[in-house]
Amino acid sequence: MPRAHIGSKIRERRKALGQTQAALAKQVGISASYLNLIEANKRQIGGHLLQKTATALDLELDSLDGAVERRLAEHLHELTAEPILKNLELDPAGAFDFIGRYPKWARALVTTHRALKDQTELAAALSDRLNHDPFLSDAVHNMLTNVTAIRSASEILETVSDLDAGQRARFDKIIGNESQRLSDVAAKLAAYFDKAGAEMRSLTPAEEVDDFLWEHGNYFPGLEAAAESLLTGQFEGQPASEADLILALARRHGIEIEDRAEADLTDLMLRNGCHDDQANNRLIFSDTVPVTTKRFQIARSLAERSLGDAIKAELEEEQRLTSKAAYNRASRALSSYAAGAMLMPYTSFLKDTLGLRYDVERLAHRYQVSFEQACHRLVTLKRPDATGIPFAFIRADAAGFVTKRFPLQRLPLPRLGHACPLWAVYTAFQSPGMIMRQLAELPSGDRFLFFARSASKEQATFQTHRPLVSIMLACDSIYADQTIYGDGLNVSAPSFVTPIGPTCRLCSRETCRYREEDPIIGV
Amino acid sequence: MGVVSLGKRVLIAEDEPHLVESLSFILNRAGYDIETALDGEAAVQSIWAMPLDLIILDVMLPKVNGFEILKKIRADARLKSLPVIVLTAKGQNQDRAMAKEMGADLFLTKPFSNKAVVAAVEELISG
Repeated sequence: MPRAHIGSKIRERRKALGQTQAALAKQVGISASYLNLIEANKRQIGGHLLQKTATALDLELDSLDGAVERRLAEHLHELTAEPILKNLELDPAGAFDFIGRYPKWARALVTTHRALKDQTELAAALSDRLNHDPFLSDAVHNMLTNVTAIRSASEILETVSDLDAGQRARFDKIIGNESQRLSDVAAKLAAYFDKAGAEMRSLTPAEEVDDFLWEHGNYFPGLEAAAESLLTGQFEGQPASEADLILALARRHGIEIEDRAEADLTDLMLRNGCHDDQANNRLIFSDTVPVTTKRFQIARSLAERSLGDAIKAELEEEQRLTSKAAYNRASRALSSYAAGAMLMPYTSFLKDTLGLRYDVERLAHRYQVSFEQACHRLVTLKRPDATGIPFAFIRADAAGFVTKRFPLQRLPLPRLGHACPLWAVYTAFQSPGMIMRQLAELPSGDRFLFFARSASKEQATFQTHRPLVSIMLACDSIYADQTIYGDGLNVSAPSFVTPIGPTCRLCSRETCRYREEDPIIGV
Repeated sequence: MGVVSLGKRVLIAEDEPHLVESLSFILNRAGYDIETALDGEAAVQSIWAMPLDLIILDVMLPKVNGFEILKKIRADARLKSLPVIVLTAKGQNQDRAMAKEMGADLFLTKPFSNKAVVAAVEELISG
């Protein structure tokens, strides 16, 4: 992914303000010819000069540092991989120029592409369902058999002139009975499609929530303050133990905790290891749920109920969430955020993080949280006066599918599907429970430190399947020496580096021997 | 009614009893002796218990499905050339291909007309 070319944006803004190149150049202290190079995207701009230019153009620095453009460019890059656009031979390198000149059109294109992907995925899923759903298969067969019986009896009545009264009555009755059965099948089919329509889920809410979190930098100061206030008021400012949380939930909201044998719970109730029985004011946990998961779910339940106003405040007038599904999903994400803030209070967690040099396993042990929960918290350390290393977060299931992501500038994470197979998030499955680290280099030359570990989301038992996921954090290689995972790594030596791409389809490494799919451009 | 038997016996293996009744009526009027089976097990018993001149076989029979029965028929040297008409509610190419591969002589998709059934039986039995 090339660096963002914001020159076009500067030019468009300058023109909108009716300013000449010479005037702006003088204002920011450079020559007009140099400004011309910048506006033509032939020179990068950053640091102090970028700040001065933003001020001169009356723009927020955020809108000029290229982060928004990079994200849009990632979306457009994915769009170029669409098979229906193959004949247009779109050059991904033109994305930045397009974004700079026509930001609203770029955003409109991305929104339309998302909607198209959403509908295409939905249609494919429905088609697959129609072809393989046993209920539908049986219903269609029954319906056509009923119709055949009605047709056959009707033809007999119509064409056979010497039927006696008894035979005529018999075939009349067959038509009547089969018509009734046909009505019953049709009613069941109608009910089935009614239910299917109500349950259809768009893929877009997940992406809208991703955008919402990203736009906030995955840091919500309001929630941090609310969580801290709850901790101070309820737990004297200390990380809450499971017993403390259970007591708080009972006293403040009348919610009781119940542990039940796994065999007594349905699969639906076992999702996330926890069932919120709102009718009876209890949280029911399976006896196989890990301790860290139970503690987190209790904290989340407390956050949903005690910090509901703070969560709503973050979502109020959030225009990126265009549906109820997206709003609910974002609300759940924020209650998880608040739970993390309660279990790993910001100040003490940051202090320990720096002291332990980002040793995630030791942090998880100290705060009695899971590896994934600790990784999540590390991504949220964005308080302006007390910031941690900026990380990307990615979670993949054992099939390789990316199920959760939080991106980083210049490190494109796949929206749906799989990342490059060489990423540490996948090699971590080869050694369950062990941290795999990697110095990874993109075709752009950008280098990152990846470290990943696989984990089970449920307690393993002899007879039950143990679903594994892999969690990876990634940071720019310049931060590697601040972490234990960078120890011994020579970040500038080629021998330590693994050449990677985003995904095969978008990767320009034409000669990569691990390539699984042809790239959209080249080869 | 005075129908003259042609001396040809047809087995109708179909689990919808009203459809069996209608098909039996029209084929009987056309001169054929009719045996019926309402599930796959009954069909298998009939096929190997008596001489037949043609089988009308529904694919989605309970207990043993039509394709399995067809496979067993073609595996038996004595029944290799017994004409079989396969009935199905699905008209998909894969079912036609499967029916052909298993050795069906004709393939009728529901809803079919009485005329089509009689014509198919006449064609296969006389041929």
